[in-house]
Amino acid sequence: MCDQTFLVNVFGSCDKCFKQRALRTVFKKSQQLSYCSVCAEIMATDGLHENETLASLKSEAESLKGKLEEERAKLHDVELHQVAERVEALGQFVMKTRRTLKGHGNKVLCMDWCKDKRRIVSSSQDGKVIVWDSFTTNKEHAVTMPCTWVMACAYAPSGCAIACGGLDNKCSVYPLTFDKNENMAAKKKSVAMHTNYLSACSFTNSDMQILTASGDGTCALWDVESGQLLQSFHGHGADVLCLDLAPSETGNTFVSGGCDKKAMVWDMRSGQCVQAFETHESDINSVRYYPSGDAFASGSDDATCRLYDLRADREVAIYSKESIIFGASSVDFSLSGRLLFAGYNDYTINVWDVLKGSRVSILFGHENRVSTLRVSPDGTAFCSGSWDHTLRVWA
Amino acid sequence: MSSKVAIGSDIGQARRAVEQLRMEAGINRVKVSRAATDLLQFCTEQAKSDPFLVGIPAATNPFKEKKPCAIL
Repeated sequence: MCDQTFLVNVFGSCDKCFKQRALRTVFKKSQQLSYCSVCAEIMATDGLHENETLASLKSEAESLKGKLEEERAKLHDVELHQVAERVEALGQFVMKTRRTLKGHGNKVLCMDWCKDKRRIVSSSQDGKVIVWDSFTTNKEHAVTMPCTWVMACAYAPSGCAIACGGLDNKCSVYPLTFDKNENMAAKKKSVAMHTNYLSACSFTNSDMQILTASGDGTCALWDVESGQLLQSFHGHGADVLCLDLAPSETGNTFVSGGCDKKAMVWDMRSGQCVQAFETHESDINSVRYYPSGDAFASGSDDATCRLYDLRADREVAIYSKESIIFGASSVDFSLSGRLLFAGYNDYTINVWDVLKGSRVSILFGHENRVSTLRVSPDGTAFCSGSWDHTLRVWA
Repeated sequence: MSSKVAIGSDIGQARRAVEQLRMEAGINRVKVSRAATDLLQFCTEQAKSDPFLVGIPAATNPFKEKKPCAIL
């Protein structure tokens, strides 16, 4: 488990017995504490009934898993595409590349739209983060990060700042300034600190909080101003690769996907995992909420995209074809949720009819893997970034 | 001592897993037919305002080329 991966030999005062001992990090109700090894063992066996042994707990876990599957299966009375038979089929789509953004020196790894539906921030393996005007294709800002492989970037809701991070294990916030004399890198603020690479980041509803996902297996919520850790989310058994916040204003949940093939839905206030889904056969590269907030889609290295309904608590659709054998790296919905755009490692973008489960269109153009894909905030276009060093805006 | 601690943490892990599963087994679920109908309803309601489905004229879409104007 990730919270035991890093055995740092810290000596200090134990949080429970206050003796000076070698400390281990333990989590009690999601709160991080430092216990000496004696107190850690006592805590683990606290409140154990006489007959509770490792074996009995493991068998109880197995039987609970079985019960969970039974409960889910009971409600599986129909398939989504069967219910969707009464909906009209979609017509032909003509989607072309309308803009090509050139300027990165290496693979484009991540991109995000600004709420003004026009600006785009993108990050690349060469360490550069660029802010573009997608209408004119001009570059408005450029920052060079101290590390290569900037795997995550995000635009602040106000449009006044960007966040990015990658192999430096941090998430940094840069305020955007139009003053030519100001060096953007000078105002950089380091917000998040993980113990492994940063794979995804997103501002919450305001510029004040950032949610991050990391290769150290955890997600975390940070206060931008103070850099303080507000909440951490433990549960993934391997690197967390992606996250997405629930769309509604009052929603306090987010979904994350990882290399442990699990997609987990978290309550942001308590730090608890409320639902978990494990039907993919390989790493989950991308997760995105359905616009209503009641479902989410995931794209995985097993060459499928899947739709999970949160109220039915199960997978309700698989988007796959025998001819598609390369992993899906990035997914996003159109405004109504009827279309699912998915970028793949075979350089193509497939457009799926979410309700009927069929592929509507296949888009060619990129000359290498599509690594990131986002629909614009007003739904008029979507942008894809690729290992071929370019970004394309399609409409 | 070290092997005892390792077992202690295994039990701790197993307990947390059992508690998590208990909680997950207890949540309220709806039937897929109901959930699917709701997804459908949301889609059809929002379809009118989805530019990809409805198609907005080239003049208003900032990304599409505008037709050239001819000066008469």
